[in-house]
Amino acid sequence: MAPKLVEAGRSPNIEILTNARLEALEGKPGNFVAKVYQEPRYIDEDKCTACGTCTMYCPVPVVDLYNERLNVTRAPHIDYAQAIPSCFYIDAKACLRVNHEVCNLCAQTCIAGAIDFTQKPKHLELEIGAVVLSPGFGRISHEVLERFGYGRYPDVLTSMEFERLTCASGPSEGHIIRLSDHKPPKKIAFLQCIGSRDETCGNGYCSSVCCMYAFKEASVAKEHEPDLDIALFFMDIRTQGKGFDLSREQATKKYGFRVIRARVPKVDQVEGKLLLTWTEEDGTPKSEFFDMVVLSIGLESPEDAKEIAEIAGIELNKFNFCKTSIASPLNTTRDGIFVAGAFQGPKDIPESVTQASGVAALASEVLGDSRGTKTITITYPEENQELLKLPPRIGVFVCHCGVNIAGVIDVKSVAEYAATLPDVVLSETTLYSCSQDALRTIAEKIKENQLNRVVIAACSPRTHEPLFKETLRSIGVNAAFIEMANIRDQCAWVHSKEPEAATEKAKDLVRMAVSKARLLEPLYETEVDVTPRALVIGGGVSGMSAAISIADQGYECILIEKTDTLGGIANKLSFTLTGEDPKKIVKELVNRVKKHPKITLYTNATLKNLSGYIGNFISTIDHAGEEIQVEHGVTIIATGGRPYEPKDYLYGQSNRVITQLELEEKLKKGKSSLKNINTVVMIQCVGSRGDDQNYCSKVCCMQAVKNALKLKELKPSIKIYVFYRDMRTYGFSEAFYREAREKGVIFLRYEPDRRPEVIKSGRGIKVKAFDRISQMDIEIPASLVVLSVGISPSEDNDKISKIVKTPITQDGFFLEAHAKLRPVEVAVDGVFICGLSHGPKGIDECIAQAKAAASKAVIPLSKGKVSVEPIVSRIDKDKCIGCGICVSLCPYNAIQMVKVGKRRKAETISASCKGCGICASHCPVLAISMGGFTDEQIFSQIHAFAESYLGTQQKDSQEKKQEQEGEQENKE
Amino acid sequence: MSDRPGKVIGFCCNYTTQVTEEPLKEAGILPESVEFKRLSCTGKLEVSSLLAAFSRHGADAVFVAGCPEEECHNFSGSRRASKRVKYTKQILSELGIEPERIEMFFVPRQETEPVVKAAKEMLSRLEKLGPIIKKDSNNKEGNDSGKAA
Repeated sequence: MAPKLVEAGRSPNIEILTNARLEALEGKPGNFVAKVYQEPRYIDEDKCTACGTCTMYCPVPVVDLYNERLNVTRAPHIDYAQAIPSCFYIDAKACLRVNHEVCNLCAQTCIAGAIDFTQKPKHLELEIGAVVLSPGFGRISHEVLERFGYGRYPDVLTSMEFERLTCASGPSEGHIIRLSDHKPPKKIAFLQCIGSRDETCGNGYCSSVCCMYAFKEASVAKEHEPDLDIALFFMDIRTQGKGFDLSREQATKKYGFRVIRARVPKVDQVEGKLLLTWTEEDGTPKSEFFDMVVLSIGLESPEDAKEIAEIAGIELNKFNFCKTSIASPLNTTRDGIFVAGAFQGPKDIPESVTQASGVAALASEVLGDSRGTKTITITYPEENQELLKLPPRIGVFVCHCGVNIAGVIDVKSVAEYAATLPDVVLSETTLYSCSQDALRTIAEKIKENQLNRVVIAACSPRTHEPLFKETLRSIGVNAAFIEMANIRDQCAWVHSKEPEAATEKAKDLVRMAVSKARLLEPLYETEVDVTPRALVIGGGVSGMSAAISIADQGYECILIEKTDTLGGIANKLSFTLTGEDPKKIVKELVNRVKKHPKITLYTNATLKNLSGYIGNFISTIDHAGEEIQVEHGVTIIATGGRPYEPKDYLYGQSNRVITQLELEEKLKKGKSSLKNINTVVMIQCVGSRGDDQNYCSKVCCMQAVKNALKLKELKPSIKIYVFYRDMRTYGFSEAFYREAREKGVIFLRYEPDRRPEVIKSGRGIKVKAFDRISQMDIEIPASLVVLSVGISPSEDNDKISKIVKTPITQDGFFLEAHAKLRPVEVAVDGVFICGLSHGPKGIDECIAQAKAAASKAVIPLSKGKVSVEPIVSRIDKDKCIGCGICVSLCPYNAIQMVKVGKRRKAETISASCKGCGICASHCPVLAISMGGFTDEQIFSQIHAFAESYLGTQQKDSQEKKQEQEGEQENKE
Repeated sequence: MSDRPGKVIGFCCNYTTQVTEEPLKEAGILPESVEFKRLSCTGKLEVSSLLAAFSRHGADAVFVAGCPEEECHNFSGSRRASKRVKYTKQILSELGIEPERIEMFFVPRQETEPVVKAAKEMLSRLEKLGPIIKKDSNNKEGNDSGKAA
C-alpha cells in the first residue's frame, strides 16, 4: 500500500483533507458545491517532521485504534509510519490541553514548532465537478461478536486483531500470542461468516472476502509458527476470485489446514480452555478444544452510511450499502456522484482498485470539457552538472523498515560497516526510508554532503525505486544515481532465524551495491508523442463499455468485433437475478456505440498484427477480408469468453440434458415451455474447478439460483435439486440463494471424487448421486438435467497474446501486471484488459472493469506524451555486426534492423523496450548494454561479492586480534 | 479424586449443551467414569429412566442438566425434570440409598462449563459417599436428607 499512499500524497493534483466530513452537497454534475467540516489536527502539516517526540512526552495514554486496541499510544500520534499525510495528529478527546487548558508538554518539546492549539474547526466550501464516495466498510457490531464469546474470553479474537498480531510492526511484533497469557497458541480455529450470511443480525449477504483472507491469515500464522494446528470452519468456501482457488488448494496442502464444513454456533469456555462444538455433515456432534479462536468478521456497511446517503442525496440498498445497478455498477442514484469500493458492496482489493479506476473514468466523462484547466504539473529543477564532475560521493541509507529489517539485522552495524567502504561519505540508518519525512531528510543530506550516488539498503527496487528516483529528481540529481540493496525481502525476511548471518549478508549486499553505485552514469528520459486514439478489441459488453467511456472522455476510439453482431455472450442471457433486462443493457450499449461520433466500428474484423509501442501503435485489421491499417496510442483487449462445452453427463446424447444458457432460452417462452417438466436437476461446476478448467467460473452459482427461481416462479410445483460443491452466491446474491431454499429448491453438496452421474433409464434419465447428509446413494428421476457450465477463455486469446506479446495465464486468460495494484494493465505498456478476457465475472463486474481500463487508457491519451524509462538497451553501432539475434529474441518487438551505410545494424525502439536484457545477454560481440545494468557495473558487483568473501575471513582474524589486544589492555 | 470414584451419568438436553465427553476427557477435565446422555428435552425423563441409570447402567451418581427454570425451550420441560428428580430422591431414600446421589441442575443454555461443574459436583459427592454398595441397610441419615429434599 505504501507506494500508492506516497503517490497520492505527492501528486500535486490531489488535495487531501483529513479529519473532514461532508456536510452538504448541492448543485448538479459539473457544478457541485460541497460543504465540508474539518476538525483540527492541532499539528501543522507543513511543519511536522513525524519525529515522534510529542508521543514520547505526552502523559495521556489512549488506545491505539489502528492496532485494534491491542496497543496503547499517546494523544498525539500517527496511525502508522507510512501514513499520509505524514504528520502526527492530536486525539482531541483525550488531550488535556484541548479539554482542560493544562499540560501543553508536547508543544514545548516539539522542535519543529508544529503543534498549534490555536487551530479551529473549519467550514470549507469546495467547488467540484463530480463526487466519488468511497467510505469503505463498517464493523460488525459487538453484540454479534459477543455471541461467540468475544469480549468475554480473551483468546477469542477478530480477524482484524489477528491481522495486527501477524504484522511485523504490530503490537506483538509479528509474534502470534494469546492475549490471556502472552504464550503462543498451539491450536487455532477460524470461524467463518461472523456477521455475514446471518439474517439474525440483518446481514443476509455474503462478505465475499473472508474465506480468502482466512486462508491468508492462516498461512501467515503457519509461516511464523510451523507447528501450529489450524482448523477452519466453513459453510461454503467462497474463494471465487481469479487464481484464488489454486492458491487456497496449495496453501491447504502445504500447511496441512483442517477444513471443516460446519457453522459453529458459539464459542464455549471450560476451565479456561476454548471449546467448540459443531455438527458434522452426517449429523454427528463433535467437540474440540482450541487455544485461540479467530472470528472471520464480515464487511458491514459504514456506520454513517445513512448520514452519507442523506447528505449526498443517494439511495441505499436494503443492507445499507450504496444502491447501484448491473448496467451502471459505479453510479449512485444521483447524477455525477459515483461510488467505489466496499460501500458499493463487500469486495476485495483487486476489485476495489478496479472500481476506483472505473470511477475515475466516470468522473472524467463528466469533466471532459474542462480537462486540463485546473491541473498542476510538476517541474523538476535542472540537473546539477557540478555533481557529475565530482568523483563518486556515495551516501548509504540503511532502512529499519520498522522491525521488518531491524528486527533481524543489526542495521546500525551495517551502516557503520558501509561507512568504511571506499567513496562512501555518509552512512546512516532511517526508520522508514520510504516515509515522506525520511525522503525529505534524505534529500537534505544529499544536498548538504554533495552526494552524487545514493545507496538505499531497504526493500525491493521493484516497488520502491520510483519513489527514491523521484526524490533525486526533485533536487536536481539524475534519477539514475540510485542503487538499492534489498536487505528486507532477500535478507531479513528469508533469514529471520539467523540474525547474525543475516547481518553479514546485509553487509555483503550493501558492499555490492556500493561498488555498483560507484560506476553509475546519468540516464536521460525520452518523451514520445501519443496518437490520441484507442483501439478496443472485442464488441461485447466490456468492449462496448470501454469504447463508450473513452469516446465520452473525448478521444477517438476504434472498436473491432470479430462477428457481425455486437453484444457477445450477453446476447445469450435472457434475464438477471436482480430483475434487470440484459437485452436492454446490450441494446443501449449497441445504440450508443453506433451513434457516437467518436467511435469507428468494424464488425467482422479481427486483429492481424500489432506493431509499435505505447503512444504509437500500428495495427493491421482484417475487415471482412480487407486489410486496414490504423494508428492508435493505446489498446484495450476485451475479447470476452465463451461457454464451456460439456463432455460428460450425457450432454449431446440426450435432449433432456441441457446447459443453463439453453434453459434460459427455453424459459423465454414462458410457462408453456415447462409442460411435462416436473423435476429439474442442476449440476454445478461442469467444466469448472476440475481437470479440464481448474478455476472457478464465478457466475454459474448465481446463474443456477437465478434459473431455479425463474422455474419456481413459472411453475411453483416443480421440484428442483441442485448438486453443488460450494454455493458461491457472493455479495448480495446470497439473498437470492436463501430465497431459492425458502421456495423449496433442494441443494445437495458433492465432493469432486463422488460427482453425480446422469444415467439413462428407460426412455428417461435419472441422476445418481451420494447424499452426504443421509450418507446414502440416491437416485432422482429427472425430466430435465441442467448443467451449469463454466466460462472458457476466448479461443482468440492465444493468438492475440502472441500478436500483442503479453502473457496469458495457464488457464488461458490475460495476465494482469499486478493482481492487486494494476488489475487492468498488462506487461506491455499501453495495453489494457477488461471483462472475460481477464477472467470469469458477472456483467456488473465486467462493466466496472471496462470503465477501469478506459480510465487507464485515457491517461496517456490526455497527457499527449509518454516518457520512456531510461533503463533500456543501448546498442553500440560500431560493435554491432548485424547478426539479428537480438531482433529474433526480443519478446517485446523492441529491436529493429536499420541500414547504416551499407551495413545492417540493430536499433532499439526505446519506447517499446522493457529493459529485460535478453538482447544484451545474447549479443555475441557484447555490443548491447543495459541502462543502469552495464556489464561493467554487474561485474563490479560480482567482484565485490567474491573478493570480500575472502576479505571477510581476513578481517575476522584481524578483528579477533584486535579483541584480544583490547582484552589484554583491559586486564592491564 | 479417589481411585474408585464410581460412575456418574449426566442427562443433558440438546439445548443445554451439545458437547461430547471425549475432548473433555482428553483434556483431563473429566475422568473416564463420567458419561453424558443427550435427550431432546429433560422433560422427557421418567422416574423409571432415572432409576434405570442406577440399576441398569451402573451409575453411582446421576445428574440432570436442563434449561433455566423459566427459560426452558419447551416451556416446562426442565421443571418437570426437577420434579421427577425430587421423586427419585424419595424413592432412593426409601431404598436406603443416599438421595444426594441424584441432583437437578438448571444451567444456562449452550454453555459447557456449568455442565462440567455439575459433573464435578457429583464426583466430589461420590468421593464422600463412595460407590453404591448393594446391601440391605436402613440408613437413617439418608432418610432424613430425603425428607429434606
